[in-house]
Amino acid sequence: MNDSDKLLILKKLLLAEDRDFANGILQKLESLENTVNIEENLSEKVNPIIDKKIEDFVALMPKKLGPTITEALDFQIKNSQDKVVDALFPIIGKMIKKYIQQEMKILSDNINNQVQSTFSVSGIKSKAKSMFKGESKKKRIFDELSNSKIEQIFIVEKGSGALLSSTSNDDSIDDDMVAGMLTAIKSFVEDAFAKKNQSLELIQYELYNIYIQNFNTYYIAVVISGVFDATFKNNLENKLFDFATYHIKNDLSNGIYLSEKLQELLNHE
Amino acid sequence: MNKSKKIVLVGHFGVGKSSLIRRFVSNSFSNDYKVTIGVQILKREIEIDQKKITFIIWDIEGKEALQEIRPSYLLGTSAFIYVVDATRNATYLDFNNEIDYIKNNFPNIGLVSVANKSDLINEKDFRAEIAKQNLVIDFFTSAKSGENVDAIFEKLAINFLNE
Repeated sequence: MNDSDKLLILKKLLLAEDRDFANGILQKLESLENTVNIEENLSEKVNPIIDKKIEDFVALMPKKLGPTITEALDFQIKNSQDKVVDALFPIIGKMIKKYIQQEMKILSDNINNQVQSTFSVSGIKSKAKSMFKGESKKKRIFDELSNSKIEQIFIVEKGSGALLSSTSNDDSIDDDMVAGMLTAIKSFVEDAFAKKNQSLELIQYELYNIYIQNFNTYYIAVVISGVFDATFKNNLENKLFDFATYHIKNDLSNGIYLSEKLQELLNHE
Repeated sequence: MNKSKKIVLVGHFGVGKSSLIRRFVSNSFSNDYKVTIGVQILKREIEIDQKKITFIIWDIEGKEALQEIRPSYLLGTSAFIYVVDATRNATYLDFNNEIDYIKNNFPNIGLVSVANKSDLINEKDFRAEIAKQNLVIDFFTSAKSGENVDAIFEKLAINFLNE
């Protein structure tokens, strides 16, 4: 063994430990590089930490950020009311619309049931029963308000507004003038919002409705108190068409006969 | 049998159409001027030779030209009363054209022309003036005094009963 072999052996002995150490560091670096540069590996290590942090943040947010957010919202709402309204309107508007539609449906169903029962045999029986039993005035007024009732009927010549026949259970202002004014209102509306072959059908005021059924040379106006809905309108339309078919028969000259028949129609309600 | 007739009053605003009707229907008069908006409808029944006739009177808001009136207001009219203000010549400057318009568009319909506020003019001078302009006025009336107001409707009633 010469000197150089001895030196080599000595080197091996002295540097082996450093070399193992360096190799260990190199392996760790490679492992770190794999962890940092490969997304999956990094996610595996970091995600649990982030998740934990988020959980902590969410838990602490109301306490830490609540006052700040509230203050910021207050400021924004005060200073950007129009924007806030614009932003919220579609959402709140839809909510309100949906709510109203729902309530209207319930109301409509209730009214329909009420009207149906008014026209039914059981409804008439019930009415007669309550009359004999003598119910309270309050209940009777409430019932009257919620029920539909024909108050007056007019048959009026189109154009001239001349009253051909009428009937009423109450005294009102002159029927001729009512017929004239109804015709004037009808003419005004039909002129003002000129749409061909369109006619004024309904005038509403508070709890009263004036329903107008148009015929070729005349129209029949019916004053109704109480609820006036599609069901009642449908029944009324049928009665007026029947009346025109069986009693008017294109002859409007016999006013006395028509008045008697109108009174029968009114009493039948 | 009771006859019912639609009478339409036309003419410029402020000529006294509503006052004439008020005098005829309720025999009253007011100096307060209230402009008619749209149409006012009043009614009076009169009796001639024991025959009754009911006037449904449409007092239409004043318009400078008949063409401006809603056509539907004029449908079914039995007679027109065309009113001018005797104190304002602007209300009868186009008189003949307006009368022709009624005659052409509503043939065989009654028509009476009236010069109102006769209490405020010298009738002789006014007659001379309208004669010069070839205007034919049927009645000189005063809604204030009631002069000749009933006469308009009596003439119309006689015409209707003779139909």
